[in-house]
Amino acid sequence: MARRIIIIGAGQAGRRCAETLRELDSTAEIMIFGAEAHLPYDRPPLSKAVLLGKGPGTGLFVRSAEFYADQRITLHLSEAVTHIAPAEKQIETAQGRIFTYDALVLATGARARRLAIPGTDDPRVMLLRSLDEALALRARLLDKPRLAVIGGGLIGLEAAASARQLGCTVDVLEAGERLMARGLPTSISRRMAALHRQHGVILHLNARLDRIESTAQELNLHLAEECRAVDLVLVGIGASPETALAEAAGLAVAEGIITDRCGRTSHDGVYAAGEVARFPNPMNIDISTRQESWLVAQDQPIAVAHAIMGQHKPYDVIPWYWTDQYDCNLQVLGEPTDRLHQIERTEGERHTLLCCDSNGRIRGAVLINNGREATPCRRLIASGKPFDITEYADMARPLRSFL
Amino acid sequence: MAAWHRVASQEELQPDTPRAVRIGEMQLAIIRLADGVFAVNDVCSHEYALLSEGFCEDGKLECPLHQACFDIRTGKALSAPATAAIATYPVKCENGDVFVMM
Repeated sequence: MARRIIIIGAGQAGRRCAETLRELDSTAEIMIFGAEAHLPYDRPPLSKAVLLGKGPGTGLFVRSAEFYADQRITLHLSEAVTHIAPAEKQIETAQGRIFTYDALVLATGARARRLAIPGTDDPRVMLLRSLDEALALRARLLDKPRLAVIGGGLIGLEAAASARQLGCTVDVLEAGERLMARGLPTSISRRMAALHRQHGVILHLNARLDRIESTAQELNLHLAEECRAVDLVLVGIGASPETALAEAAGLAVAEGIITDRCGRTSHDGVYAAGEVARFPNPMNIDISTRQESWLVAQDQPIAVAHAIMGQHKPYDVIPWYWTDQYDCNLQVLGEPTDRLHQIERTEGERHTLLCCDSNGRIRGAVLINNGREATPCRRLIASGKPFDITEYADMARPLRSFL
Repeated sequence: MAAWHRVASQEELQPDTPRAVRIGEMQLAIIRLADGVFAVNDVCSHEYALLSEGFCEDGKLECPLHQACFDIRTGKALSAPATAAIATYPVKCENGDVFVMM
């Protein structure tokens, strides 16, 4: 009898796991369960093309319903899984149906964090994580409201840029002292702050928001030193891994489901795929990492599918993510931090920041409108080759010549 | 009507260094590879970006925005996030000049 593989989570990681499983095994029975009614979609367009009302092209629904039928991948949409029982190899859904499996993949992703202050239960205080939330936010933005974005991270800033392009007044409130502080060196945070100010965003750094007071007309944001009236609030303060099912079943969980490099969890026959997984960091195998990016949802499930099929293909890809804000494309590779030596390569609007350790090995890079250096950067990071760091600053020497 | 358009001289095309050209409204990338000169639509099939500004190697052109990869000879999308091919155009070289048919 064919093996049955159940994937919980009908997002990008679930889709990628199913596709890869089908490539590896033409007979396995593959089921995907998802709480949402939509076909699996990729999230990057939500804060940009979807908010702007541009056709997101093939970047949103990468595969059609026909594809899943053709590949014999059974989609159980609008059917959330409520319980998993690894000992019995069973799952139960919100509809009360029970399914048995031979292998189980948790591709449950992450959920948007809510703001823990008074006044956030007003419907004008929104989140941006799902397609439905993006569409609801877009509908409100079309009225050109005064928008306050809480959180100066990637999603908040992309949404701020989209809202400015739609003609909204935009304030961004960031509790920390700089933007996108989690993954970027200070010099890049400053550039992004300048970019948003140029486009008319009012930035509040070190902002302390105590409460939101709702009136029929507006929302009053009570900050430490002022009160700001807006029409709409978007909370973009990060995401937490969706580990409830795993925890209830007793899997090892620590801010993500603990896995090895191939997505195996603490329980035999149970795997975790995409951004819910915490795995050994390819940049430093001794510590674990959980990554939220298109790349990890795209490629880590390949490792999982191989492991299910008994093949060893660990996920050891250098971290990479991008963000598009206004006309600026920013790409981040490896682990660029302030603790490393920083070398700038600038040519007109193109800018590369290389972050090297004391041996001249590149550990991270940030590219602004300079994507052609991404692949050379990735290979240099992966190679661990040491160089005289002064040579990197020589723009006459293309980065690829160091490879 | 389709016709040959001169787009470059052969000597100004360096290997693996795409050149962006415009014919009317069309934006093309002209690339010299070991086995000849090729012309493809310069606009990525995923989101708007000029592929001529991307990394080029081994007959592949990589989008500078999101790193989708295309086969320069066939236009085929080789990696996500792109899934659709880009158009390719016939090229001929005569007396040191490069022409594209479109």
